[in-house]
Amino acid sequence: MAQPADIDQITQLNAARNLVLGDAAFYPQIVNGILPIVGANTRLELRRWGADFLAETFASPVLAVAQKEQLAPNVLQTIREILELPEKDTAVLQSLVQTSASLYPLVFRHIVKHPDDSKTWETMNAIKLVIFRQMDSFPCPVKICCAKFLQRVVQVQTPGLISDPRRPEQNETSLAVVPRNHALLSIPNLEAESSGLLDRLLGVFQEETSDALLVNATLNCLAPLIRTRQSIANKIVNAVLEFYPAKHVRPPFTPTVRVSVKSMERTARALLINILKRNPNHPMAGKMQMYIERLMQSRLEAPDDASRKRGLPTEPTDGLDNAKRARLNALTPPMLKIPPMAPGPASYDRLFTITEDIGLSSFDVKQLPFDLVLKIVVPLLTQVHDSTLTQATEAIRTRLQTITKEQNLQRQQQQQAAAADDDDDYEPEYQPMDAASTVSEEASAVAAEVADLQPELVSLGPFVLPQPPPLSEEEAGEIGRSAVARVFGMLNAAETSPAPAKNQSQQKLGFSRLAGSTFDRDAWSVLLARLATRAPAGLEEDNQNKTDSAGRRQTTISDSIRETLYRYILEDFRGRLNIAVIWLNEEYYNDRIKMKSAANQRAGSEEEAQPTVPLHYDTWVVRLLDGFLAYLDSRDIKVLVRFLSEVPEITIPITQRVASLAKDPERVNLCVQALMYLVMFRPPAREMCLNTIEDVYQTYEESQPAARKVLVKWRPESVVLATANGAAEEPPAAPSQPEAQPTAIAE
Amino acid sequence: MAYDPRRPNSGTSTPQPPPPPPPPPETIEMATTALEEVKPADEAGTTDSYKLKFCTVCASNNNRSMEAHLQLSGAPTAFPVISFGTGSLVRLPGPSITQPNVYSFNTTSYNQMYEELHSKDERLYRSNGILNMLDRNRNLKWGPERFQDWVPGMPRVDHLSKGDKGAIGTEGGVVDVIITCEERCWDAVVDDLMNKGSALNHPVHVFNVDIKDNHEEALTGGKAILDLANRLNEAAVAEHRVHGSSGWENGTGPARQSFDEKVPEILAEWQEKYPHLPALWTLAWL
Repeated sequence: MAQPADIDQITQLNAARNLVLGDAAFYPQIVNGILPIVGANTRLELRRWGADFLAETFASPVLAVAQKEQLAPNVLQTIREILELPEKDTAVLQSLVQTSASLYPLVFRHIVKHPDDSKTWETMNAIKLVIFRQMDSFPCPVKICCAKFLQRVVQVQTPGLISDPRRPEQNETSLAVVPRNHALLSIPNLEAESSGLLDRLLGVFQEETSDALLVNATLNCLAPLIRTRQSIANKIVNAVLEFYPAKHVRPPFTPTVRVSVKSMERTARALLINILKRNPNHPMAGKMQMYIERLMQSRLEAPDDASRKRGLPTEPTDGLDNAKRARLNALTPPMLKIPPMAPGPASYDRLFTITEDIGLSSFDVKQLPFDLVLKIVVPLLTQVHDSTLTQATEAIRTRLQTITKEQNLQRQQQQQAAAADDDDDYEPEYQPMDAASTVSEEASAVAAEVADLQPELVSLGPFVLPQPPPLSEEEAGEIGRSAVARVFGMLNAAETSPAPAKNQSQQKLGFSRLAGSTFDRDAWSVLLARLATRAPAGLEEDNQNKTDSAGRRQTTISDSIRETLYRYILEDFRGRLNIAVIWLNEEYYNDRIKMKSAANQRAGSEEEAQPTVPLHYDTWVVRLLDGFLAYLDSRDIKVLVRFLSEVPEITIPITQRVASLAKDPERVNLCVQALMYLVMFRPPAREMCLNTIEDVYQTYEESQPAARKVLVKWRPESVVLATANGAAEEPPAAPSQPEAQPTAIAE
Repeated sequence: MAYDPRRPNSGTSTPQPPPPPPPPPETIEMATTALEEVKPADEAGTTDSYKLKFCTVCASNNNRSMEAHLQLSGAPTAFPVISFGTGSLVRLPGPSITQPNVYSFNTTSYNQMYEELHSKDERLYRSNGILNMLDRNRNLKWGPERFQDWVPGMPRVDHLSKGDKGAIGTEGGVVDVIITCEERCWDAVVDDLMNKGSALNHPVHVFNVDIKDNHEEALTGGKAILDLANRLNEAAVAEHRVHGSSGWENGTGPARQSFDEKVPEILAEWQEKYPHLPALWTLAWL
């Protein structure tokens, strides 16, 4: 059928192809060379070869984008001519649509750069038009490629990420790179078109009966769209989540239909897993998980799918295997073996648990969604054998009777044995109905023992609680800590409680509020801070004096509160910064008050040794800062500035810590900006901060551009500026006396 | 090298270096070869030889994918075929289950592995079939390749010059059909193709044929894969012919159905014949 000349020509063309596969540099030459040979009106073999070659060329990762862009206009013209012929051969159409999909972003980019090349854009649009108009009438393989073409057009005509606005050539081709005033490309029009096209692409999920090929082809090309096109990602995911393959097929369920359904389910699952893997915190992660589970569920429901799995028959059939199978069968005869109730305190779940499997009995059914449970239980109940159900019910009844009997017996024994035994919470479920009789019985049974107490109770004379046994210091500490732990519990509970009502009351209170009046999180944190600071004030000094000689005693209650507060804040320092500020203010205030009272004391008794006041503010502010500085990233300027501006006092150690941020080139600006803020808005700390900036300026080169600006504005006379980049002749000016005494001794 | 003192049933077929002859005849094999013999005859008249391009994938690109590679490239039709592994490393059984022999993909040749294991413990690796397997592999291609590192569309001309079996036809670095040998690998392949972003806009059918990872199953699985490949190729050739020179109007009804449309049907029919090799399929993009 094929003439020798054809074969000859094809052989030549193949040789040319091998040449470019070996060295991509020949592509321009070869592509331009073959275009006339394979264009419209040539023989089918040549058109097929040409279309394949063009598809390969413009998909090739070795041919540079710039070169592809250069080749595009000529090739477009040829493609248009062939398509408008009109072309009938599936293979040629398929390859041409593939080529168009590869070309579209290239041409788009070309047009963005060359707004005057209207001819190329017109050709591209003509091709686009042909493809979209005929898409539905094309044979299936071409239709699939059209779907891919759709996806490409949508991807190009939707705004993408601008990774680096300074280097436009590196940005991905998307609507975002089109200038507002482009002569040919009107952004609103393109966007509207792509939105329509996306609907068309996703329309495949709403078809009455799905074509597995088209659905799979669509699902498999959606991942890049979801990944790189934020604005439409949710729409796509929603469309997928509403698609249940099993609902889109019509009986009879031939093997072919089953293959199709399974493939659609697995592909949908693969797509969602791909999204979840990339972004486990996806806002729709929960929905996707549920969808995946539901897909698995529907797969289980298809009964013959299970038999299709490599099941028992594939196992090597030896004697053992048969024995195993026999045992499985033995489960079905309805002879239930119900063990006596599990030992331990009785409870409803123990009562009704008739399996001995620990895994099964510890499984919390409440975890399953309600409709799923329904789905499982209803068919199960229809299948359960009558006699099995009766047996099980009977067994539970017997259990219940034994328990009640035992409990009655026990109760009687208890009542006889001990009178004061009032913690009768052995079986709370049964108490209500027994309560009345128990009380009366108890009353009569213990009458003798409590006879001596009764007169007093009746006459209601003064009742004095007996003195509790004295607590040891450890016990006291222990109890104190547990109390603190409970307050922290309240802190957590308050955090999760709904906010609106709280806000209202807070607004009303204003300045006249009391620290702990609202029972919200802030109130509890104030309470804690005061517990740590004021409550034990004046006690610790004595303790310390006493115990210093005995080495370090176990930590005091207040320190353990501080420690816990510290950890609590660090757990989420961004969210709990206000607690930190409340706390540090309390510390600072407390330190002042103590210093004042110590001064008074000293004035009173001149001869006594100077009472030292342990100051906490400085230690804890630095610890907190150290704690979260490591986790600050370059965008956390607000967090840092808020902290620095709201703590009651800035000290040299604090500025040093902030300065240390400059070690990290990424956070240099964070450091300088924070210091600049302090210079501008905290006059008492200004000198100190300027010193620090000088210091930073000299030590870390990266800081110089930013730090220089600050210094020029606020300390133009600085020596550092004069010496520019060279090593400083004189050491940075020693920090002048800070605005407040950070020392611990009250002099 | 050609002769191995192996047990008769060690599982691997033993291809001799240059032209890999079909593995020892078995019943299925007989059937498929018979099928093939008919085909080239009636095919010769029409288009020269349109062939689908295949890609086989397993975890380590050693046992299952290579057995399939052998079957596909060695068949009378001699399909274009490339093969990959989806694991992070090539893992081969070692002296115990906790001491596997681990190699990296793309940089270690089958020959290196063969020589190393040969010198380590020839008796052990001969008797567990590893050496035989590596010997087969080194005659098929240079070394194991990792699927995730594959750049579709990257020319593979050098593989042709290296004499890889099945390299003819895959110079363009593009395939029409991917067949994995384990569900995990199918998941990995579909996932990776999504990650690659489908820059080529080229559709590819991705199948899974679940094969247990041992020599015997690999052999049966490999033959089943060849059968699947033959069925698919037959449909593809038919499509080429119907829509080809003889013209679009000639075919009627099912004959006019395209290759792609027939895929679910072909797989379903194939599955009936091999109920113990659960299969899976999707249409993805390169």
